[in-house]
Amino acid sequence: MMKNYKIILLLVGAVSLVTACKKYETFPIAQITIDRVFDPRDSLGTNAYAFLENVYATMLNGHNRVGGDYLDAATDDAVSSAASSSNQVTQLSTDAYNSGTFADGAGDNVWANYYSGIRQANIFIANIGVVPVEATLPKHPGISMKYAWKNEARFLRAYFYFELVKRYGGVPLLGDKVYNVTDNLALPRNTFSDCINYIVSECNAIKGDSILQAPYASTANYGRVTNAAVLALKAKVLLYAASPLFNGTTLVKDAGTGQGPRNTTNAAIVGYPSADPNRWQLAASAAQDVINLGVFSLDQNGFQDIFLTQNNPELIFIRQGDNGYNVESNNGPIGFPSAVSKGVTSPTQNLVNAFPMISGLNINDPNGHYNPDSPYARRDPRLLYTVFVNGQQWLNTNLQLYQGGQSIPNSGVQQTISGYYLHKFMGHSEALNSYAAHSEDWVIFRYAEMLLDYAEAENEAVGPNAADYQVLKTIRGRAGIAAGSDGNYGIQSLSSITQDSLRSAIHNERRIEFAFEEQRFFDLRRWKVAPAYMDQQRLGLQLISNGQLTYNYVPILPAIFKINSFTPKQYLQPIPYGEVVKNPQMQQNPGW
Amino acid sequence: MLILAKSSYAAIQKDTTAKKATNPPGLITGKVVDEDNRALKGVKIVINGRGDSSKTDLAGHFSVSAKTGDKLEFTYPNHYVNDVTINNAADTLSVRLLDHYLKSPETIDVLYGTINKANELGSISTIYNNQITTTPGPTYIYALPGQLAGLYTQQTSGFTSAQNVAILQHFLTSTEVNYAPAHNIIPSDNTEFTLTSRGQFVTTVIDGIQQNIAAIDPSSIESISILKDALSTILLGINSSKPVLLITTKKPDLGDPRITFTTEAGVQQSLGLPNDPLPAYQWAYLYNEALQNDGKPAFYTNADIEAYRNHSDPYGHPDVNWSKLLLKSYSPLITDKLNVSGGTETARYYVSLGYLDQGGIFNEAPGLDYSTNNNISRYTLNSNISVDVTKNLNVDLQMYGRVQQMFEPGSGYASILTNIFTTPNNAYPVYNPDGSFGGSSTISNFTNNLLSQAQYSGYTQTNIKDVLVNLDLNYKLNNVTQGLSFKAKGNLAIESQVYITRNQQNNAYGYAIVDSAVKLSPVGTTTPLTNVFATELSARYSFAQAALNYDRQFGKNRFGGQLLYDTKSSVVSYDLASVTTDKALKVNYGYDDKYLFEGAINNSSYNRYTPGHQSGWFYAAGLGWQMGKEDFMKNIKWIDSWKWRLTYGKTGDNSNAGYYTYKQTFTSGGGYPQGLNYGSGSGYEEVTPIADPSLSWANADKLDFGTDISLLHDHLQIEADYYHEKYYNLVTTRGATIELLGTAYPQENIGINLYKGGELTLTYKNNIDNFNYFITGNGSLVSSKVLYFDEQPQKYPWNAHTGLPVTAIYGYKNIGFYSVEDVAKHAATIAGYSAQPGDLKYADLNGDGVIDQYDQTAIGGLKPLVFYGGTIGFNYKGLSFSVILQGVFNRQVSVDNSYDAPFQGLGSLGTGASGQAYANAVGRWTPETASTATLPRLSIVQDEANGNNVQMSSFYVKSGDYFRVKNAELGYELPLRWAKSLRLSGIRVFVNGENLFTVAGYRGYPGYDPEVNTVGAYPIQRVINAGLTVKL
Repeated sequence: MMKNYKIILLLVGAVSLVTACKKYETFPIAQITIDRVFDPRDSLGTNAYAFLENVYATMLNGHNRVGGDYLDAATDDAVSSAASSSNQVTQLSTDAYNSGTFADGAGDNVWANYYSGIRQANIFIANIGVVPVEATLPKHPGISMKYAWKNEARFLRAYFYFELVKRYGGVPLLGDKVYNVTDNLALPRNTFSDCINYIVSECNAIKGDSILQAPYASTANYGRVTNAAVLALKAKVLLYAASPLFNGTTLVKDAGTGQGPRNTTNAAIVGYPSADPNRWQLAASAAQDVINLGVFSLDQNGFQDIFLTQNNPELIFIRQGDNGYNVESNNGPIGFPSAVSKGVTSPTQNLVNAFPMISGLNINDPNGHYNPDSPYARRDPRLLYTVFVNGQQWLNTNLQLYQGGQSIPNSGVQQTISGYYLHKFMGHSEALNSYAAHSEDWVIFRYAEMLLDYAEAENEAVGPNAADYQVLKTIRGRAGIAAGSDGNYGIQSLSSITQDSLRSAIHNERRIEFAFEEQRFFDLRRWKVAPAYMDQQRLGLQLISNGQLTYNYVPILPAIFKINSFTPKQYLQPIPYGEVVKNPQMQQNPGW
Repeated sequence: MLILAKSSYAAIQKDTTAKKATNPPGLITGKVVDEDNRALKGVKIVINGRGDSSKTDLAGHFSVSAKTGDKLEFTYPNHYVNDVTINNAADTLSVRLLDHYLKSPETIDVLYGTINKANELGSISTIYNNQITTTPGPTYIYALPGQLAGLYTQQTSGFTSAQNVAILQHFLTSTEVNYAPAHNIIPSDNTEFTLTSRGQFVTTVIDGIQQNIAAIDPSSIESISILKDALSTILLGINSSKPVLLITTKKPDLGDPRITFTTEAGVQQSLGLPNDPLPAYQWAYLYNEALQNDGKPAFYTNADIEAYRNHSDPYGHPDVNWSKLLLKSYSPLITDKLNVSGGTETARYYVSLGYLDQGGIFNEAPGLDYSTNNNISRYTLNSNISVDVTKNLNVDLQMYGRVQQMFEPGSGYASILTNIFTTPNNAYPVYNPDGSFGGSSTISNFTNNLLSQAQYSGYTQTNIKDVLVNLDLNYKLNNVTQGLSFKAKGNLAIESQVYITRNQQNNAYGYAIVDSAVKLSPVGTTTPLTNVFATELSARYSFAQAALNYDRQFGKNRFGGQLLYDTKSSVVSYDLASVTTDKALKVNYGYDDKYLFEGAINNSSYNRYTPGHQSGWFYAAGLGWQMGKEDFMKNIKWIDSWKWRLTYGKTGDNSNAGYYTYKQTFTSGGGYPQGLNYGSGSGYEEVTPIADPSLSWANADKLDFGTDISLLHDHLQIEADYYHEKYYNLVTTRGATIELLGTAYPQENIGINLYKGGELTLTYKNNIDNFNYFITGNGSLVSSKVLYFDEQPQKYPWNAHTGLPVTAIYGYKNIGFYSVEDVAKHAATIAGYSAQPGDLKYADLNGDGVIDQYDQTAIGGLKPLVFYGGTIGFNYKGLSFSVILQGVFNRQVSVDNSYDAPFQGLGSLGTGASGQAYANAVGRWTPETASTATLPRLSIVQDEANGNNVQMSSFYVKSGDYFRVKNAELGYELPLRWAKSLRLSGIRVFVNGENLFTVAGYRGYPGYDPEVNTVGAYPIQRVINAGLTVKL
């Protein structure tokens, strides 16, 4: 019997060997917990800084952002070549959507993206304190660099709020709190005024010396927030706050009550209920602050260069892209086997017609000598940098933008539906056989915008004067428009120009200077002029080459789309449907 | 075969009457053997149907009083009845009894033990060896469809996937589709079948250990059971919610060595491949029509279409049937098996060796000295040695090994099959005039020649090796107290999968005539051959179990119990060990074999939950009543037994535990291009979804009520079950996910689903003299309902998912095609779209004139799923026949709309409009065929009409019902005398087949298979197989 027990013990031992214990971690050391991201022993702050990088990455890159299209294809400047009822930008453009149509990230629904950015910024702000970063601020050798980082995060958070406010009006302000699943997230919207005040006060708090100073100190710091970016954000926020859409809002009355849930909105949420012209003055002086820094200037290497050369003197703040040619592969003319493209963006004739002649005169001005049989001759040089027209050189070829030509083969493959392709943002591939890589950053603030922001606000606040008038001349001069014998670049003289005429000139200058830069979509709205433009036919060119060229201008949006469809509710985007039904405190925007 | 069969009748008769006249007068003597030619003890012999009978002794000998002309009937449990008429009273008889196809042994296997079937309370269906071996296939799972009540099978692929063998076993009751994380995978070599029971995925337990090895030689499997109720699975504790598929392999047998060798060879033929692509001219014609519908000029001229039709210009106007060119009609399947078993009182052994070679469906290039076709070759070894070390101690050692090598084309078979599906016949010529590979960038970018992908892209080779060792120890402790025993089990398994990829891409050249000269321009790229060696998976599993068992009868009282501890650990690749531990007690009591009770409680834990909250209690209990043994039933002669049983339990499921998700972690990823050189962009971000520190296991309350009835002298058996199972604490994402949180919500224990239904099995077996016949059928019903998942408030009641079946499909309700009048009236359309006649028309449920998300509703999958199976067969003097039928109804599937939307498919960079079209495209809507059209008007993808027509709608919800002749076998066990003359114990020849015949509720186009409805799936195979079994 004893012998048997021995055998059993032996076998039991053998069995238990299978599971015999060595020490293993109870939580995987490969999983990184917060104390390793914000590491109290890391004097370099490597991981914390990497976390900040991801807050930066939340900024959206506008290149082909909206379902593969530029947001500007939702304005009168362009249509999508993929225009169909499921094409997001076309839905945006033609009011073919409701609060539930666009999922997170689709259409222009940036709600979730920016609240995610705000969360990440708050995590950074809440935790960076424990990291003993040794590097110091360039201007304050005794102060840790982490305070600059923290201010960068605060800037980004303020910028995210601005991106939300310009689309939705007042949104819930979360402060510094990092919310958890168990917290009550049924938060109400703050008023528009609260939001503007919050963003401006954040900018004021961080604008001083405890952040990097423009221009960029080093190659490595290129792209990071500087005091100039902070001031630019403030100027832009105040410009929006002063604009007619928000300054004395009538949206609740104009847009009426929508079909969705919780569709009564307080006016104070979507704007200032009472107008105050002084807001223009605030905007003008905020823009003036950026100009007064004296470290920026217009890129004199030309209009195209702004988007291709990093760290040129015009750039105030950018969203970094890459070194490549995605812009070309997405939007370039089709028909090149060695340089394949989708040609998704079809700029409209409406946009083409907005460019003046080289003299700065409108194409309808008889003194401009516009020739309908050679419509691109002697035009504002920005035109051919913005769109491709027939015969323009590209990829060692003269582009064939006529029906049946190389780039408009009508084979069923996607091609332009306007007769033009986008050219803006593209590199110098005119004399190459395939695309060359170039810098593809997305410009958020550039000096030209500060100038035009200033001119607009100043003109609204006090009317035409030497300062705001000069801005237009400067911009046109850089663009390559001839100064003319009067030196006015085709603009009516300062002595005779009215406030309204200067406003129109500034509005049109913004349109052509900032085409495809995600300005016009919002400008049309904040100026409350959208119906005048959005309800027009989008025209395109049907060029027939039959020995000679025949220019036919035709409506290009398929007949299935409603054109005269701009309704007041579209001045603001709808709060995503789910946010309203899930949050009993959440008010929908008027009309949605 | 027929000739063999005919001659056999006479032969078997002769065989049972042997030659020597040595019988004493008035007595008939002889010997009864089994199909392995070994003596059978206890065979009952009845003479001329009279009551008096005799039995064989230990050596199989018998002697009965009978005379010439008398009929002796030999019966033995689980064997066919054999009637022998005495021709010559002087002869000694030699009688062989063959194993019955359907067995019903007195004891059945349950989790961690065996139990007398009469005392069993759970809901268990079982099949035995003969039912498993008639189906040819690379794994035993091929034999399951239609055979087990309650087990639902769907075959979604016809070939083991070579590399993506690691699968995440998720829980069907969740309404959310699980994403497959990098962690927490359970590798399985079953990538062809989805197995569910009562709506849940099943856990596989092989010889008492949870493991996922499907490549077990079916002939070495003794039985396969499905354990469906809570009491039967409760010993799995935190993983007891899923039904258990219990596999028991053959155990060593006493006696002389039995050597069985089986060799089989079969041909496979693809089902589920679309075999009717449109010829090029028809395709071009319809493409023009689609362009015209989109308001665009035609692309192909009449001359083009004519050239496609008459094949006069094979380079400029090709017409290539890619499927015919690249795929074989038949491919081989070869299996060889060798089993050896035997032993003495103290030591017994069972060894099984298997070899499998399964060929794939791709043609190979002549002249290559390596294989590019799909192929598996596999060797398996399974050995089991059982030694009685002392009178009380038994040691059982089992070893399993597998070496498997698989090939597939370098481009990957799924990608090639998808491309075959989507490439039009006229896309490009196979070769250009100069012999280069054809390609095209005309209508889309076909940059990678299909022939080159299939035959000249190199290959991927995957090597899988498994070793599994299993040690069992049984010690009887009768000297401590009668009926007590101790059992210990240890298991260690290792698995490794590595692959070698040698693939390449050859450039393709577009053909054009420029200035009447051939111009070839490159359209693709050339990638040089790679030579990659990598480990896909390396895993180690261990399991240890110790149990004290007690079983003793005191008069009419029977007491039993089991005290159990076990721990299971899996270490897969770089994951930390996943450890499950059970401490369980199971007790049972029976009074007079009439009143039965069984109860179990299990404290079970899983190490990936928050420390301190890793273990929970799970319990189950059952009651049984042998009503047939009550006095009031005893007089009813035609009722043999009648048992009622009821079980209830609270079970658990840890499948959705995730990988240490209770603590928030961060990952380096994302990042931001930094500085002027876009350098260093490393980033850190929160892992999403964020942590849920309170995440716990899901639970289920399961009730099962069943009855087992045996009637008509045990010829007719009925088993019926009703179940009601409420799953709660299901891990799912809450509905009120407010995005102000700024990140993804974690899954929380909030869902509640209800499953109910029933199963019924009817079996009848009998014989008319030597004609033994049987029929068994089973039917199962599963109905489900989502009771709660914190759904977001819906605007309209028809938008809601709560209260509907888990299987519901959502989308727009299709109400035909837009007519000319509809368009004139501006019938409701998708916002911004004005429909054209022939577009799909959707019901505007809220009547607001716009089709949007408020008009989406449940459009299918609402009826309870019913599936059934049946087996019919007979055996007449060694000639056997069986056929397995299988079917489903109330099943609805949403078919991939690229089946039904011509020209969908490949396109470069999302611009293309160049997909293949099949014969069903001819049924498209045109003004002339408006009343008979079966598809909407043609359009090019990305264009406006397809945007409307490819919306998820009831148009794409099709019947998934089908009926299959799943398997049939015709076999003949040659007469013993013939075998003996070859010095063998037995010879059997057979032909069998799989997936022989199918009737489907929906046939989209010839070749559509109701079980497979994804593009790129390896088609399931019809197999015709013939083989020979020799017993030494």
